[in-house]
Amino acid sequence: MVEFNLPANSVVKEGKSFSAPADAKNTRSFKIYRYDPDSGDNPRTDTYDIDLDKCGPMVLDALIKIKNEIDATLTFRRSCREGICGSCAMNIDGRNTLACLKPIDDIKGEVKIYPLPHMPVVKDLVPDLSQPYAQLASIEPWLKADSPPPVGERLQSREERAQLDGLWECILCFSCSTACPSYWWNSDRYLGPAVLLQAYRWLADSRDEYTGERLDMLEDPFRLYRCHTIMNCTNTCPKGLNPALAITEIKKMIAERRA
Amino acid sequence: MKMQSDLGRVRGLGSAKSGSSHWWTQRVTAVANLPLGIWFIVSILSGHTASYDAVHAWLSSYFHSTMMILMIVSVAVHCTHGLQVVIEDYVHNRKAEIVSLMLIKAVAAFLSVAAIVSVLRIVFAGA
Amino acid sequence: MSESYKIIDHDYDVVVMGAGGAGLRATLGTVEAGLKTACITKVFPTRSHTVAAQGGIGASLGNMSEDHWQWHMYDTVKGADWLGDQDAIEYMCRNAVPAVHELEHYGMPFSRTEDGKIYQRPFGGHTRDHGKAPVERACAAADRTGHAMLHTLYQQCLKHKAEFFIEYIALDLMMDEDGTCRGLVAWDLDSGEMHRFNAKMTILASGGYGRAFFSCTSAHTCTGDGHGMVARAGLGLQDMEFVQFHPTGIYGSGCLITEGARGEGGYLTNSEGERFMERYAPTVKDLASRDVVSRGMAQEIRDGRGVGEHGEYIHLHLEHLGSEVLWERLPGITETAKIFAGVDATKEPIPVLPTVHYNMGGIPTNYKGEVLNPTADNPNRVVPGLMAAGEAACVSVHGANRLGTNSLLDLVVFGRACGLHAAEVVDPKASFKELKTTDGQTALDRFDRLRWAKGSRPTADIRLEMQRVMQGNCGVFRTAEILGEGVEKLSKTAATLPDVAVSDRSLIWNSDLVETMELENLMVCAAATMNSAEARHESRGAHAHEDYPKRDDDVWMKHTIATVGWDKGYGVDLTYRPVNSFTLTDEVEYIEPKERVY
Repeated sequence: MVEFNLPANSVVKEGKSFSAPADAKNTRSFKIYRYDPDSGDNPRTDTYDIDLDKCGPMVLDALIKIKNEIDATLTFRRSCREGICGSCAMNIDGRNTLACLKPIDDIKGEVKIYPLPHMPVVKDLVPDLSQPYAQLASIEPWLKADSPPPVGERLQSREERAQLDGLWECILCFSCSTACPSYWWNSDRYLGPAVLLQAYRWLADSRDEYTGERLDMLEDPFRLYRCHTIMNCTNTCPKGLNPALAITEIKKMIAERRA
Repeated sequence: MKMQSDLGRVRGLGSAKSGSSHWWTQRVTAVANLPLGIWFIVSILSGHTASYDAVHAWLSSYFHSTMMILMIVSVAVHCTHGLQVVIEDYVHNRKAEIVSLMLIKAVAAFLSVAAIVSVLRIVFAGA
Repeated sequence: MSESYKIIDHDYDVVVMGAGGAGLRATLGTVEAGLKTACITKVFPTRSHTVAAQGGIGASLGNMSEDHWQWHMYDTVKGADWLGDQDAIEYMCRNAVPAVHELEHYGMPFSRTEDGKIYQRPFGGHTRDHGKAPVERACAAADRTGHAMLHTLYQQCLKHKAEFFIEYIALDLMMDEDGTCRGLVAWDLDSGEMHRFNAKMTILASGGYGRAFFSCTSAHTCTGDGHGMVARAGLGLQDMEFVQFHPTGIYGSGCLITEGARGEGGYLTNSEGERFMERYAPTVKDLASRDVVSRGMAQEIRDGRGVGEHGEYIHLHLEHLGSEVLWERLPGITETAKIFAGVDATKEPIPVLPTVHYNMGGIPTNYKGEVLNPTADNPNRVVPGLMAAGEAACVSVHGANRLGTNSLLDLVVFGRACGLHAAEVVDPKASFKELKTTDGQTALDRFDRLRWAKGSRPTADIRLEMQRVMQGNCGVFRTAEILGEGVEKLSKTAATLPDVAVSDRSLIWNSDLVETMELENLMVCAAATMNSAEARHESRGAHAHEDYPKRDDDVWMKHTIATVGWDKGYGVDLTYRPVNSFTLTDEVEYIEPKERVY
């Protein structure tokens, strides 16, 4: 049955506080989820007061400032800092997004930062994403075609290519999947919006010749039909993509091929 | 302890290659429930259910009894499909899941057949 | 306090370090050839910095107008200011067209022309018929070409069931007494375990080291890890003084605005609203090669014609292109400009500044990808068992200045070359030479030393100081005085490395320790860059020396090889290696040096 109680040692406790320098005029509190896998202690939230006058505009800038200047043990993923690599996806102010694209000024009051929800936490803000990665591999996200390729490029009209817009730009940050309650309840069997968006990216590609097999693979009460059009995915996507629409398109394709 | 590979776990038992008829039926019954629902509400508001005799007269009509049976079927199917999804979503104990699925289907079958029989009795037996 | 680490040994035919464009293409090649391959990467493959490449990949497809690989080769040689090895440049430009077609066949979502072919746009330094006019050579997927390419390559690796070791930090190479590379040691962030990868061939595709500078377009992960490992193995780094400044990094954040923006018709203006590039490059104007445009911009700012309150930046205009073109062809940068500059590019100009972008230098290799350890007698001596590709390598196709779009090309062409060469020399049936218990010990010693480092200077502190020195003393314009001061300052900073403080002692996801190890790698790169630059008394490509404003082919037509004494205060030994003045085949002739005018 549904578990209503949290597992042992998972209640988040109040942690340490670090105050801003005395001369700071424009301070803001960052309340950050911490989990230390070595100690086995409960997770905690540490609070860091930051002088925003000496910090870049984005939440990632604040995280880096904390790591550089206050607490080097704070752990999070980051790389490109311009919203294209998908490393720094986390839950900021109650919403899954990329820390590098989230302006601190967009948030009122204390900035609460948690790892992506409902994923096993490795340490602090680093979730274990091996399951969604495996799900991505399971949909066989590569071009499948039996017609031998021509000497040059395969041709694709601009209209056909336009079908891929809004799909191929996905950066696999999994903000959407981890915002989806249906994925929370059934992530072992439901593919989740990010992976289904990728699945549709290949269904929509005029060069791919395995549409039928792909649809067969997806037609499953759990893999696909756990989507209940809750729309959290589309609401939260930091790149402005629409996974919910892609999922609906897959359902429409399956309905279309029925008698 | 889970030591199976991620890919193995994710692939699991493979695709059921079904689910679309469930999804489709739920949408079709949802659409059907709209006119049927309107008919039902209008009927109630027009006083067809004001008394035992009024109900009796109303359901003796071929049109209204047909509409009633259609609504019973459509609502029952829509209901079981919906409840099935809720159970699949939230009940993760396989045994409990199967038992509750069978239970809702049995209850729905019993109630809908009983309802249909009642309507038919009014139409044919005049009871 | 030291403890023994849990060590897991692996045997692989090939181990690839890095899963960006070059690493994935090399992995794909070796897996396809039937070699047992491990790809080790510190970030999930699609998070590698290749993902941030925007404008396109260069290939003379001729889809929009006439083009030939020989023209591409000429432009690359000229862009490189004749420091590139022409055999390698020929190899790259000839293979560009099949490489792009291969990517398309893999499923890469290129933008398309009206007749369904791959869309191409003009790019800086790419010209028709030896400099006559700009030519459309950059094959593009909107302005997210690197993203499209990296994801495509990862998908192909999945298809071929390549084996990945994700979020593993490579510590050091394992080298034999005879100088053969035997694989590498890596640390699994997730479990905290140490892994020794015993390999018949090791391919380094670890990317650049932009983070040695304060302001760069590079990701936080571009820390020259391969460079550091090579230096600690006693090998040299080539042409490190050549650091490319991209003309259009967003003022403040340093985020990249693709050159494709100018390819699509964008242009730069100074505070007087003048299109100043017309003065610096009369023929191709804003589409001159990057070093020329960056110098032009820096000159305008120096002469007091910069835009802004303190005259500190330049304007990039795209608003005349119309919002439809911007949202179709340049959607990514339109968004980036909004987020990071607060500017609506469809209505107003974007504030930009030349920003550190690419390292032409790196681990010296030949066109097959084999790492070189040049000696006076044999400038092309190969290091057995070790190869390199991508930005980490210096083949050298980019010479003193890389042309835009040639980096993505470099990745796939030389990543593929590595795969081909590995398939040729590695025998999958041959048995593995067993590892000794002492193999990799130096890597673990280094790890242990840093893990328990109890000095007084936090990693971020030393890193910031190093970045400031590099930014201030190794910038667009260089003088003997500035560089001399830079060498001194940098060695002072490097001297504080033994005093580094690490506060996280954990073995699991200890990112504090990761950053400290990266800092040591960056310091290797910084030292090599500063010292190589200080020694090169000429101006060539990206190395603009004001005391020696002319290119000096008589003395300086040679590659710098910098050997960094990482255990001796980061002192640098410089030797030189001739530039290859021959081509690969007799189908094209060596392009003789001449004056470089755009």
